[in-house]
Amino acid sequence: MSAAATPLIQARALSRHFRIGGGLLRRSAVLRAVDDVDLDVERGQVLALVGESGSGKTTLGRCLLGMLQPTTGSVHFDGEDIAATDGGRRAAFRRRVQPIFQNPYSSLDPRWPVERTVREPLDAFRVGNPPDRRRRVAELLDSVGLSQRHAQSRPHELSGGQRQRVAIAAALALNPDLIIADEPVSALDVLVQAQILNLICELQRDLGLTLVFITHDMAVVEHIADRVAVMYLGRIVESGPADEVLTRPKHPYTRTVLAAIPQPDPGRRRDVAVVRGEIPSPLAPPPGCHFHPRCPLAVDRCRTEPPEMTAFTHDHLASCHVTAQELRPKGA
Amino acid sequence: MSAVATAVRNVTVRGNRRTRAGAAILATLILIALLAPVLAPHDPNAIDPNRILAGPDLSHPFGSDALGRDVFSRVLFAYRVSLAVAIGSVLLALAVGIPLGLLAGYYGGPIDSLLMRPVDLLLALPALLLALSLISVIGPGTWVALFAIAVIYLPIMARVVRSSVLRVVNEDYVAGAGARGVTRMGVMVRHVLPNSLGPSLVQASVLMGFAIQIEAALSFLGLGAQPPTPSLGLMLADGYQVLQQAPWADIFPGLAIAIAVLAFILIGDGMRAHFDPHGVSR
Amino acid sequence: MSAPLLALDGVSVDFGPVSAVCDVSLEVSEGEIFGLVGESGCGKTTLAMAVMGLLPATAAVRGAIRFEGDDVLTRSEADRRKLRGDRISMVFQDPRAALDPAFPVGEQVAETIRAHRSVTRRAAREEAIRLLGEVGIPAAAERYRDPPHRLSGGMQQRVVIATALANEPSLLIADEPTTALDVTIQAQILGLIRELRDRHRTTVVLIAHDLGVVAELCDRAGVLYAGQLMEVAPVERIFAAPQHPYTKALLAALPTRAAARGALPVAAGGVPDLADAPPGCRFAPRCPVRMDACAEVPPPVLSEPGHATSCWYAAQRGAPA
Repeated sequence: MSAAATPLIQARALSRHFRIGGGLLRRSAVLRAVDDVDLDVERGQVLALVGESGSGKTTLGRCLLGMLQPTTGSVHFDGEDIAATDGGRRAAFRRRVQPIFQNPYSSLDPRWPVERTVREPLDAFRVGNPPDRRRRVAELLDSVGLSQRHAQSRPHELSGGQRQRVAIAAALALNPDLIIADEPVSALDVLVQAQILNLICELQRDLGLTLVFITHDMAVVEHIADRVAVMYLGRIVESGPADEVLTRPKHPYTRTVLAAIPQPDPGRRRDVAVVRGEIPSPLAPPPGCHFHPRCPLAVDRCRTEPPEMTAFTHDHLASCHVTAQELRPKGA
Repeated sequence: MSAVATAVRNVTVRGNRRTRAGAAILATLILIALLAPVLAPHDPNAIDPNRILAGPDLSHPFGSDALGRDVFSRVLFAYRVSLAVAIGSVLLALAVGIPLGLLAGYYGGPIDSLLMRPVDLLLALPALLLALSLISVIGPGTWVALFAIAVIYLPIMARVVRSSVLRVVNEDYVAGAGARGVTRMGVMVRHVLPNSLGPSLVQASVLMGFAIQIEAALSFLGLGAQPPTPSLGLMLADGYQVLQQAPWADIFPGLAIAIAVLAFILIGDGMRAHFDPHGVSR
Repeated sequence: MSAPLLALDGVSVDFGPVSAVCDVSLEVSEGEIFGLVGESGCGKTTLAMAVMGLLPATAAVRGAIRFEGDDVLTRSEADRRKLRGDRISMVFQDPRAALDPAFPVGEQVAETIRAHRSVTRRAAREEAIRLLGEVGIPAAAERYRDPPHRLSGGMQQRVVIATALANEPSLLIADEPTTALDVTIQAQILGLIRELRDRHRTTVVLIAHDLGVVAELCDRAGVLYAGQLMEVAPVERIFAAPQHPYTKALLAALPTRAAARGALPVAAGGVPDLADAPPGCRFAPRCPVRMDACAEVPPPVLSEPGHATSCWYAAQRGAPA
């Protein structure tokens, strides 16, 4: 990885807060959906953003897309701060970063024929003339494995897998550099999921796309990702190369999640006690290290002091007081 | 296709039958109203002293009223007023209510408050009193009745559209369109509006049914259509006086109202099944 | 071997022209956890509803469903209602749909108790508190009064399980009980189900689309596709030596088992239209080893003790190794 190249997209000290409730007589609570996140994604890389409910991964995805303004911190795309851009550069940014959403049932306008949905970004940016756009739509439908006869279909006439293909085609219409996919296969059946994953991998390779893949499914991460970032209650707790993090996790939360995944292999049934406790509400995260109430390794320090990010290798980081000790030479 | 999807399809097909039935009835009534001058066997305002309170016969199928006028012909012409007021008032309420609800729901925040406070105020005032107040200021008449009903319905339509918009605005395809470069106005007009109209159309058709009854009530009170314009409500009022001797003077206008209301309700019910087969938003 | 607790014999369910379940026969022994696996639309929920007697009136059911030796399809609705919540219980996927948002959770457990046993309100309440504790809800006596929305998804699901087990049913049907939950919470609930089965000897039919869950929890499993039962076997055999091409396809398509970054091998196409299904094996159009007979003639069931496969190809190859 060339040290000179700027990461394609970069978040620095990114926070996004929401005010919940409140009114004339009650003070509102602050929801720290994303809390002081640093993130780099290199060109051509696939980063998986993993977390359970309340982790903030969807909010982070929307901040990276520019759909939400950060409360503090910044997002830089190709070296430029996206918040500081004016209308013209904003439009250019939009063209280069495209979303794919999770729910194949709500991500397409139910009244529009598929062809029109895929053509919409081309119309919005006035790419070429109408015949050019229609040609491009046909090309796109083809590249995602949809036959031309589906062009005039409405979403409800298509299966979940087919709808996701349409969503992918629409995302590719403007030849973006970066795609942010929020759980694109979570709502699909096993066989369909495999088909769509294959499609995404193939397109990513062929088009050299950079991909931020938000998911809660570690198995998918294993299959598709170069790097992984694990989130818990708004913070990134661990990040690193995918095979590293999955085989040698350094954060207790990552280890818990990996242990909790049911393996399709009856020979490896766990008797080990699973993680205890519930995921706390993001409105009231535990002080210090957010994970400490459920953590098997927690010590007193964890209750009061949020841990720093420790570098276990040059690109594998985790924030845990206890595992950071592993790096200390003995006797220090 | 799953078994559930098939069951849903059955509901919507039956729903469409209802819409078609209602639409057929309504179309017939509108046709009758438009062709009233041709279809009516007698001049609706022609007073015939020989036929005062005469019963139905071949040349006067609905009988005659207290002034000897042919009830059948009067009903045909009265449909013009009733249907015009019913449809017109709701269309007017839609014309103002849809943009209000759309903008309030889409932009939210201060714009929502700004637009909806006056609407809520209107909603808080008792409908019939509101109508009466307007009429007492402007004076009675068919057009005033139409306007008054539109004012009553405006806040209802605005709120229905607004709540529909609030739901649609959170859907991924709206966010997606924005992320793909469509302007906010474009998103609002091309995605949010068409998908939010469903419930308001259902509401509209039901309200048309009620509007006929409100118009009839206003005319009954002498505040709507003024004589000699025939209106179903006026006919009810007049016929009420002679109910014992000549029940047909009241029954037939009453039936006419009922059929029109039925048509609107059928259309609305069928549309509801089409837009919302799972009955979720009820 | 004693009679199975639950036996399905040639069960078919039609909704008008749609054949949701086609000729399914299987047996569940007492005390085992039986997994019913398949993708969406395969008929697993329909089958569960048939066992519970909860299918709508528009459903046409054929065959026999024998629970404790008695065919529930021939019983009256009143008899079936007596069974539900008492001898057979069901847990659904979305706990928010199963719990009445207006009532305290403890009340809902107590209500199930009082519906089937004549006990005092106080006795039911105490029993409910005990059950809430048993399913792992901390401070059960206080949480008794909480409305469902005060509890997290995992906690709600525990309440639903408590309701289901309130009257010590012989059979618990769990329809995707953990699909709506986070993975760490899922692990807790699966552990709870296993623990409860061990303690109460409840037989469990677990419906899932996640093969990992099935491997984790089940003793035996049946694989459904488009309403047909493709394969039934002990879970170890399903994963180690699957006989049916569809089972093999499912396992091959799982991301963890595939070579990293290579394309996942997957059968092209989609599930057939159940209103217009071929008479034979419904997987035939997508099957990599399809033969001419497959789509036309229902395949024979090739069985050896405990392992049954409905497939022409497997039959032709002879008894499985």
